[in-house]
Amino acid sequence: MNRIQIEISLGVIFILLTGGIILWYGINEEDRMAEFTRGQAASAIEVGAALYETNCKDCHGPQGEGVPGLCPPLNDKYFFTERVDEVGWSGTIEDYIVATVSSGRLTSTRPDRYAGQGRPAMPPWAESYGGPLREDQIRNIAAFIMNWQATAPDRSQEPVMAGPPVGTDITVELPEGNPALGEGLATTKGCAGCHISQAIGPGWAASGSVPGVGARAETRYSAADYTGQATSAQQYLLESIVNPNAYVVEGYAANLMPQNYGETLTAQEAADLIAYMLSLK
Amino acid sequence: MNRTLDFQDLRKKAIQALDNRVRIITAGLGLNELRAVMRGDAPTEKPNPRYKVHTTSFLFHIRPRYYEKGSTIFAHTFRLGFFTSFFFFVELLTGLILMIYYTPSPAEAYDSILNLMSNVPFGKMLRDIHRLGAEGMVIFTVLHMLRTFLTGSYKKERSFTWLTGVVLLGVTLLLSFSGYLLPWDQLAYWAVTIGTSMAEAAPLFGNEANLLLRGAPDIGAGGLLRFYLLHVVLLPLAAILVISIHYYKVSREHGISLPASMEEGDVPAEVKKNARQRIDFIPDLFTHEVFLVSLGLFAMVAGVTLLGYSAPLETIANPQVTPLDTKAPWYFWWLQGMLKLGDKSLMGIILPTILVLLLVGVPYIDRNPYRSLYKRPFAVGIGILSVLVLVVLSYMGLPQYGIQTPAATRIIQDLVPEEGVGPLRGVPYEQLSAGIYEVGESVPRDLCPSLDFGCPDLTAVFREFSERVNFAATQEDLQPFERLPDAQAVMVIEDWQTDLKKITLRINWNDVITGDAKSYEKHIFLHRERVHE
Ligand code: HEC
Ligand code: HEC
Ligand code: HEM
Repeated sequence: MNRIQIEISLGVIFILLTGGIILWYGINEEDRMAEFTRGQAASAIEVGAALYETNCKDCHGPQGEGVPGLCPPLNDKYFFTERVDEVGWSGTIEDYIVATVSSGRLTSTRPDRYAGQGRPAMPPWAESYGGPLREDQIRNIAAFIMNWQATAPDRSQEPVMAGPPVGTDITVELPEGNPALGEGLATTKGCAGCHISQAIGPGWAASGSVPGVGARAETRYSAADYTGQATSAQQYLLESIVNPNAYVVEGYAANLMPQNYGETLTAQEAADLIAYMLSLK
Repeated sequence: MNRTLDFQDLRKKAIQALDNRVRIITAGLGLNELRAVMRGDAPTEKPNPRYKVHTTSFLFHIRPRYYEKGSTIFAHTFRLGFFTSFFFFVELLTGLILMIYYTPSPAEAYDSILNLMSNVPFGKMLRDIHRLGAEGMVIFTVLHMLRTFLTGSYKKERSFTWLTGVVLLGVTLLLSFSGYLLPWDQLAYWAVTIGTSMAEAAPLFGNEANLLLRGAPDIGAGGLLRFYLLHVVLLPLAAILVISIHYYKVSREHGISLPASMEEGDVPAEVKKNARQRIDFIPDLFTHEVFLVSLGLFAMVAGVTLLGYSAPLETIANPQVTPLDTKAPWYFWWLQGMLKLGDKSLMGIILPTILVLLLVGVPYIDRNPYRSLYKRPFAVGIGILSVLVLVVLSYMGLPQYGIQTPAATRIIQDLVPEEGVGPLRGVPYEQLSAGIYEVGESVPRDLCPSLDFGCPDLTAVFREFSERVNFAATQEDLQPFERLPDAQAVMVIEDWQTDLKKITLRINWNDVITGDAKSYEKHIFLHRERVHE
């Protein structure tokens, strides 16, 4: 073979190989596009979660649970199934979220329960309405809120508690606590939002020269400036949960921590949380 | 008898008619001649019909009739100029298709890229090839320039070819750079913001130049449209024009230079004669080019599939958030490096202008008549030195170099960069087991013993976190900004939503100088189905 023939043969092989690769790529193309689309939806949720955290958390709660008296929950069954009918919205719930968030809300539709800031109850968020967020960012937040739908709790009935509430008497005999369960409760009961991932309240983990909450509890109740009734570390922690203002940790304002945990936690849950906190030295 | 005669007659007539058609289409090559071309046989007619093609066909008229044998040696040109033009044509073609799906406005540009990747069959492949072609063209242009410099091919009658080459280098870099902005992601937006801010530093008309480029004080709808039009209209037109001139000089006027070793000094007459033998375009050079094109196509398609080259896409451009590490495209790192060395208008405008002038002036400054490497040690030395300086400057242009990012920020940013993947995001979702992980003196062998297969990747990331924090906490001879005295660090993983985790990285330490308690933290969210390239 001379050089021309070699080059023609090799060229043909290359073209065939290229065609083969393109064919193989084309066969997988549907799947790749579907995966990319799912990945896009996933990253919209990630971005939405971060935007929610910076813009919405203070009113609607870190987990969308709402704040009684201030803002409605965005994560419960009622919101996803009945809210659009109640307000007479004809589109989907996702459109409702985008529209409401974009333009804000001048006056609350439920002023007795969720008054917000007053007027406007919720400020507008979209740039086109004078807010700080772009349209795509609002769509991402909506994607994040929609992701609560699958696990939305039903709050139309009073929350079913697994037992009687602990109450506010800190001398009650608590059952044996399980720290592993307590760790889970810290997230589901909203403690983590203030004590672990953010520093709205005193951090639980040890940090710098400050020991963890477990170690602090051991010494706190005997300190000179202590104003509460506790006589042991357990009692101090229980008091901090069910009657937070009995002693307010230095550097923090009173009333920041929810005041009603005595009614919403069972004795077992309180014991689990305390066992968990004591393990953080 | 009559019937067969008639048949033969008919057959002859038909072949002749066909032959005529073929000659019209191929601008002069008959059927027999075509067959000979494909086989690599000698011409079948006289005068050689293969030369006729070059006068009658437009496309062939700008191609050379022949090159001298010596100049076609692979190791003389490495076909670098050829492949540069190859990349350019690939860019034209893929670019035209990409234009169908692209909308040049800040509200839609990014979405149109997402749509291209999620909804258009072969859309991602097209985009990857277009990106690969752009980088390839830059690389090959520079290597081609280096080759013509080293073979001394810019001398005498070829000095104008060199000049058009320098213009092409500029056009190539601008083409790449203007295309960089179009996806409208963070990477693009900030690289171009930095790039255009250099125009601002130009003496006298800096402000105007900046406004002209960006269309407004900041890059927005106006700037994007301008860059788009530069990228798809003005610069390609300029490139086509100047490449044509450049190529015409080579193919029709001077040919490709002969290697100096076959031309200069006392070369035996035999060798000289051999080197000057003609290699005809049809069929030799032409088949060679078709072969190179099929090789090039194969390499590119394999590159974006088998080798996994993929065009990056970061989060949508956000003028409010300046990324911690802004980075120019790699072929401008040297410029970023220079900017760290001095004043913006000196390093960003005046010195580069001088550099361009020097490059233009090479054929006129270098009066040495010889082309052989051995007879121009000074020029070759300068060439090698320039390459080294470029490499060093590029290294200095990296965001990690010479910028004092505080240790805590640096460590966390390295684990979870604002853009791109980074070690932590690369951990498989199943391994992100919720918990509070405190950095201590020793790192546990497996962070999550309760998981069936443990979490080796998460543990590895946590180990890196621990080691870097402990290093910064204990080494006292580091610079103050690199130290984290009394550091306490924690990684918190929380179940946040269905298929969504929240991860917090936090470092607390005491300031080296004031002793104040300091803290740096970062929260990220990770979804199960997020695709990390
Ligand atoms: C100043 C407190 C405040 C902030 C901050 C705030 N909201 Fe609201 N939001 C409200 C109030 C008050 C309402 C009105 C409730 C009503 O009309 O009954 C509301 C209503 C809503 C509704 C409609 C709920 C329904 O049931 O009709 C959505 C959705 C919503 N907010 C989402 C958001 C998002 C997303 C953000 C962050 C970008 C945000 N909000 C930030 C106070 C706030
Ligand atoms: C809205 C934010 C918030 C939430 C939610 C919250 N806390 Fe608190 N917590 C605080 C603040 C602020 C303080 C400090 C002021 C004080 O002592 O009341 C505090 C103090 C404490 C203390 C005393 C800490 C110390 O260092 O002595 C304990 C114990 C405590 N919280 C437990 C809990 C538990 C358990 C939960 C969940 C069931 C919880 N907190 C939920 C804000 C919060
Ligand atoms: C878009 C960019 C460019 C294209 C498409 C291009 C194309 C070509 C081609 C096809 C050749 C024929 C020889 C070969 O294949 O090597 C050539 C030769 C040449 N090019 Fe370029 N070129 C480009 C940029 C440059 C640059 C940046 C320079 C230098 C500043 C340059 C200087 C030359 C010179 C001097 C020759 C003659 C070489 C010789 O005769 O040996 N070119 N160019």
